[in-house]
Amino acid sequence: MGRVARGDEAAFGELVGRYGGRLLGVARRLLGSRADAEDAVQRALLQCYLGAGTYRSEWAVSTWLYRILTNVCVDELRRRRSRSGELEPPARPDPPGEHLDLRRALNRVPTEARVLLALRYVDGLSYGELARIRGISINTVKSQLRRGKSLLKAALTKGGAA
Amino acid sequence: MKMDRIDDILKRYFQPDAEPGDLAKQVLMAARASARETGRFLDGISIQATSEGVSLIRAGRLPKPATAAARRVAQRAREELAEYFQGERAFFSVPVDLSGEPDFQKKVLAAARRIPFGEVRPYAWVAQRIGHPRAVRAVGTALGRNPVPFIVPCHRVLQTGGGLGGYLFGTDVKRRLLSLERTTPVYEGCTSTHIVCRVGCIHGRHMRPDNRVVFASVEDARSIGYRPCKVCKPQAA
Repeated sequence: MGRVARGDEAAFGELVGRYGGRLLGVARRLLGSRADAEDAVQRALLQCYLGAGTYRSEWAVSTWLYRILTNVCVDELRRRRSRSGELEPPARPDPPGEHLDLRRALNRVPTEARVLLALRYVDGLSYGELARIRGISINTVKSQLRRGKSLLKAALTKGGAA
Repeated sequence: MKMDRIDDILKRYFQPDAEPGDLAKQVLMAARASARETGRFLDGISIQATSEGVSLIRAGRLPKPATAAARRVAQRAREELAEYFQGERAFFSVPVDLSGEPDFQKKVLAAARRIPFGEVRPYAWVAQRIGHPRAVRAVGTALGRNPVPFIVPCHRVLQTGGGLGGYLFGTDVKRRLLSLERTTPVYEGCTSTHIVCRVGCIHGRHMRPDNRVVFASVEDARSIGYRPCKVCKPQAA
């Protein structure tokens, strides 16, 4: 990270190579479309590059990157919601696939729980890391995940998906 | 359905994507472009105020505000605008003084002010909102004469088909403002105090960058134990 802060472009390339795929995975599951996810990851990485000087070494790099990425994605979700009063589908949704039911069900889960679910299941982050990323206690992480999952379960059972 | 089954479904759904291609290169290009663009826009702008609020913002030179109170208002507006242009402010708290404007103009400006940060509305929406649905052109003219651009966000009004329409400082500036607002968040929380503010609040300025989390709504923030700030009152936004 020190090299990135000094403007070392090769180091930044390495960083993107190492974490880019996972960031994209999280963003795509949160935003529902590849195009929107790429846009979000690009914005997040730009913030990382410009703000590398504020990075502090007691953070794991991935935790720091996820914090920035979820900040960008959550704001994108706010914009979508405020446009329509309700949560609206992404501007350029991915074609419906086998996961359509799950995607629909996830849309019903409150934003914070959804963010935690995505981070937990894309990268298998620990409760401690999740707590750090969203600035909450481990107990809140657990209760949010539990709540998210039971909402999902309700939505999927009702929809007859599983 | 069992919880284990939900676990399985989630695991499969959230499998990581393939590596992104030339993401790093694209980001570096964007970084260079943003360094070039970082605006000296504010330098060319003059602000006129009364003791009641900002009364005129224009490119070029304007006479200095007459009283000390008015000068303080103008200075505050300049600071808020600087933060806004840097993507560090999502609302203006400095008052405006539109007392010299005709009634129709006042109504149009009041309607434009209600368009939330980062969003856009068509000219026809404004016309509808002020109870003159057919006066779309008059609305356009009134917005074109907006005495306090940026603070009254006439740049958030577009043509119905999505065309940019006109702008006091040119459509290029309008486009840049819209893209600036697209990348500026509205609600931010501090992980050490667990308070959620509107971006630009005085509290937020004292926050360390690594204590900052963005929220989609005040309810979301509340759901994980953050409370709204008493200074900027984000729940009222």
